[in-house]
Amino acid sequence: MLIYLVRRILWAILVVFVVLFITFLVFFKLPNGDPALRFAGKTPTPAMLDEIHHRLHLDKPWYIEFGYFVKTFATGDQYGWPGLGYSYNSFASVKSQIVYRAPRTLWLIAGAATLWLTFGVAIGVLSAVKRRTLVDRLAMGFALFGISAPVFWLGLIALYIFWRTLHWTAGTGYTPIAQGPGQWFSHMILPWVVLSMLYTAIYARMTRNNLLETLGEDYIRTARAKGLSERRVIFRHGLRASLTPIVTLFGLDVALLVGGAIITESVFNLQGLGWMAINSATQQDLPIVLGVVLCTATAVAFMNLVVDIVYAFLDPRVRYS
Amino acid sequence: MKRTTRRLATALLVVAVGAVVLVAAGSGSRAKSQVSAGGTYKVGWEQSFGFTDNMDPVGEYLAEGFAIQTSLLDRTLVGYNHVPGAAGNKIVPDIATAVPTPTNGGKTYTFHIKQGVKFGPPVNRQVTSADFLNEMKRLASPKDGQEYGFYYNVIKGFASGKGKTISGISTPNASTIVFNLTQPTGDFLYRMSMGATSPQPAEVTKCFEGQAGKYGNDLISTGPYMIQGIDKVDISDCSKITAASGYDGTSKMILVRNPNYDPKTDSTAARQNFPDEFDFLIDANKDDIYSKVAAGEFQDEISSPPGQVLEKYYTSHSPLLKQYSGDRTWYLTMNLTAPPFDDVHVRKAFNFIMNKNALVQAWGGPAIGKVAHHIVPDTLFNNQLAEYNPFATPGDKGSLSKAKAAMKGSKYDTKGNGTCSASACHNVYLLADTRGQDLKMVPVIEADAKKIGITFKVHSINGAYPTLQTPSKNVPIGERPGWGKDYADPLTFFTPLFDGRNIIPNGNTNYSLVGITPAQCKTLKVKGNCTNVPSVNSQLDKCSVLIGQPRLTCYENLDKYLTGTVVPWVPYLWSTATHIIAPNVTQWSFDQFSGSTGYAHVAVK
Repeated sequence: MLIYLVRRILWAILVVFVVLFITFLVFFKLPNGDPALRFAGKTPTPAMLDEIHHRLHLDKPWYIEFGYFVKTFATGDQYGWPGLGYSYNSFASVKSQIVYRAPRTLWLIAGAATLWLTFGVAIGVLSAVKRRTLVDRLAMGFALFGISAPVFWLGLIALYIFWRTLHWTAGTGYTPIAQGPGQWFSHMILPWVVLSMLYTAIYARMTRNNLLETLGEDYIRTARAKGLSERRVIFRHGLRASLTPIVTLFGLDVALLVGGAIITESVFNLQGLGWMAINSATQQDLPIVLGVVLCTATAVAFMNLVVDIVYAFLDPRVRYS
Repeated sequence: MKRTTRRLATALLVVAVGAVVLVAAGSGSRAKSQVSAGGTYKVGWEQSFGFTDNMDPVGEYLAEGFAIQTSLLDRTLVGYNHVPGAAGNKIVPDIATAVPTPTNGGKTYTFHIKQGVKFGPPVNRQVTSADFLNEMKRLASPKDGQEYGFYYNVIKGFASGKGKTISGISTPNASTIVFNLTQPTGDFLYRMSMGATSPQPAEVTKCFEGQAGKYGNDLISTGPYMIQGIDKVDISDCSKITAASGYDGTSKMILVRNPNYDPKTDSTAARQNFPDEFDFLIDANKDDIYSKVAAGEFQDEISSPPGQVLEKYYTSHSPLLKQYSGDRTWYLTMNLTAPPFDDVHVRKAFNFIMNKNALVQAWGGPAIGKVAHHIVPDTLFNNQLAEYNPFATPGDKGSLSKAKAAMKGSKYDTKGNGTCSASACHNVYLLADTRGQDLKMVPVIEADAKKIGITFKVHSINGAYPTLQTPSKNVPIGERPGWGKDYADPLTFFTPLFDGRNIIPNGNTNYSLVGITPAQCKTLKVKGNCTNVPSVNSQLDKCSVLIGQPRLTCYENLDKYLTGTVVPWVPYLWSTATHIIAPNVTQWSFDQFSGSTGYAHVAVK
C-alpha cells in the first residue's frame, strides 16, 4: 500500500508538472497578443515594450521562462515557498490571492457537494426502491429538470425569488464565516443549492440505475432469502456496491470544481478561484493563471488518489500492492 | 421497505427544514444598507478594476483611474473642476496658486505652490516643489512604468536624463517649480493636469523604484481622501512597507477622508467632498450591479448596462440615467496600403455606401451615442465642425448613387460601372471582434459593401486589437477600433493615430498606416502598396506648437483633410458616457476630463 501511494504521488507530481508545462506553452505560443501591451499605454514604443518584457520576464524563450518558473517554485520567492510570483495586474502575490479566494471556492464546493451527495443518493435510492411509482416519476422528473436547467438561469431565478422578492437570503457576495456564521450561511445557501442542482440530478439518476442493477444480482436474492431486513439488504449490500462509480464521479467532480465553478461564482459574485482564473486569462495575467491551474491539477490528482483509496474500502475485491 | 423509505423521506425533510431555519437566521442578522449623513458612496465595478498600472500615477492610464485620482486622491499643479461640458475641460489652478502664462516664447512655465497643501498619512508634511520634481523623474524613468511619458518629452532633458536628472525642470525654492520646454507646446497645461504629474514623496516612492505599479497599493494622498489603512503603513524602512488594507488591487478600493486635507487650499468649484467614504467594489455579475444600483445598495456603477436596463431608463426619461459626451469616436479603419483600400476612390465609396445609422443601431441606437461624421468629436472643437459631413447621405443610411459616383475612376472599377469589380475586391480580409455589437455590425458592413462589389472574408477574433496593432499582419480593414481623448485637445487623437513616424511593429495605433514610407514598409514587413501613401506629419508638427483658436483651427483643417481627402476611416459613432445612479444619490456630476463620474461633487442620502 505504501509503495502504491508513493508511486501514485510521484505520478501526480508528474501530471501537475505536465499540465503546467502545457499551460505555459499555450500562453506563450497562442496568438493572443503580447501581455506587455497592457502595460505600455495607448501608444507604446518599442523601448517601452522591451522594458516591460524584461520586467515581466517575457524577454526570453518560453522554455527558459518555464525553467525559471520551476526553479522559483522549488526554491521559493520573496513571498516564501512555493514561489508563485505576483500578479501582473494587482501586484499582489499569487499565493496571497489563492489563499484569499480559495475559501470561497472550497466552501462552495463543500456545501454543494454535501447537498448533491446527500440528496442525489437519497433521491436515487428512493426512486429505485419506489420504482415505477409516482415518487419515482417525480424524482426522475426533478432529475431531468436539474440536468436541463442552466446554472446561470437557475442562479438568477433563485436570486430574484429568494433575495429580491422574499428577502430570505443575503443575496450576492461573500461574507467570511468569521464575520458571522449566519451571514455566511445566508450568502452561501443559494450558490450551494444552485450548484448542486445539476449534480444532484445526475447522482440521483446514476444511483437509481446502479441500485436497480445491483438489486437484480444473485447475491441480493441470497441476502433476502437469508431473511435479512430490507433496510440491510439495500444499504449494506445493494447501495454499497452501487456506490463505487459514484465515488469515482464524486472525486472528479469535486476536483474539477476547484477551478471550474466559474458561472456559479460569477452569478453569485463570490469571486473564487474559478472567477479569478477566467478573469486572469482574459487579462493575460500568466502568474495567476498558472497558480489556479496548479491548484486545479493538484486537486484532480489528489482526489483521484483519494478515490482509489476509498475504492478499497468500498469494494473488498480491490487491493493495492 | 416502507419503514426504510419513510425514514429516508423524514431525514430529507429534517435537512430541508434545518436549512430554511438557518437561512432565516442569516437573513435576520443581515445588515441593510443604511446611508447616513456624509455616508458612503459605493460604486459597483464590473469584473475587475482593469487599471493599467494599479493606480500608480506614473503609469495609470485608465479613464476611471484618472477620475478617482484627480477628484479624490492626487492633486496636481493645475486641474479641472470635474464638471460636464466645456467648463469641465477648462484648466484651473489646483496646487498652483494660479494658472501660469507661458514666457520665453511659450517655452517656459513657472508654477508657484500654495501653502498648506500636505501629504496625507503616513507622510504628514507640506508638499514642496521637490515632490513634483520627484514624480517627474519617476515619470521619466522607463523602469517605473511610464505609459504616457511621451507627453513630457517636450521638457528639456526629460527623456535623455533617464529619470536621474531633468535639465528642463528647476526648483528655485520649495514653492516654485519652473519647466523649460524645447519648443512651444500649446497643450502643455493640459499635460500638467494629468495624474502622472501629481507630487509624490521621495521617502516612499524610493522604496518602489523599478517596481512599476506596486506603489499604487500605498499611494500617498494629497487630495481629500486617502486609501483606507494607509495611515497604518510603516514607512520608516522600505522593508516594513506593506500594502494599505483598503486596496487589494482585485476586489475593493476603500477611500476615507484624508485628515491632512485642508479645504482652504482647494476650491468648492473643484471639489465638494460630501461622502465620508468611497467604496469601489468589484462585482462579477453585471445584473447584480444594476439591481443593487436600483435598490440604492450601490450608488453608481462602472460597467456597461445591459440593453434592457438601458432601454428601461432611456425610454422612461429617468433622471437616474446620466449621459454625456464620451469624447470617443468609433470607426472602421481602412489600410492605406492594402488593396482595394489603397485607392482613395474605394475608400470614399465605402464611406458613402455605409449605413452608419444601422451601425449605431447595432450598438443600441441613440441611447449609446450619435452618428460620427468626422474624426474628432465635436465637443473637442467646441462644435465648430458640427456641420462638417463630407460623406453625407439621407438619414446617414448610405447612398448607392453617391458611392458609385465616388468609385468611378478607381483602378479597381474595371467595368467602369461604379463598382469594385477587380479580383482584389473579393474576399477581402475583414478583421472583427466578437462583442455583441460586433456580431451585429458585421452583417451590415458586408451587406453594404456588397452593393459596390466588395465582398469580405470575415475573421472574428475575441480581442482583435493585437492583430490590428501589428502592421505585418496586413489587415485591409478592421471593424473594432475606437479612440478616446486623454485630455481635451485634438492632439490626443491626431498624433497617436496618424503620425507616420510612430508606426511600430507591435502595439501600433496608426492602423491605417497613414504616412508610412516604403522604407518603413520594408522594416515592418508590410506587403501592400507603400508608394505615395499620404502623410500628415508636417501638419501635425505645425498644429502642435500653436495655442488657442489658431491651434483649434489648425486641427479642424487637419480633421477635414484627413476625413475628406485622405479618408483612412469610416467614422460612425460618437459614443456617450453612460452612468446609472441610485435613487439615494442626492447630487451627481459628470467629469468631462476623465469621461466618468465627478466624484468630487457627488452626495448620497
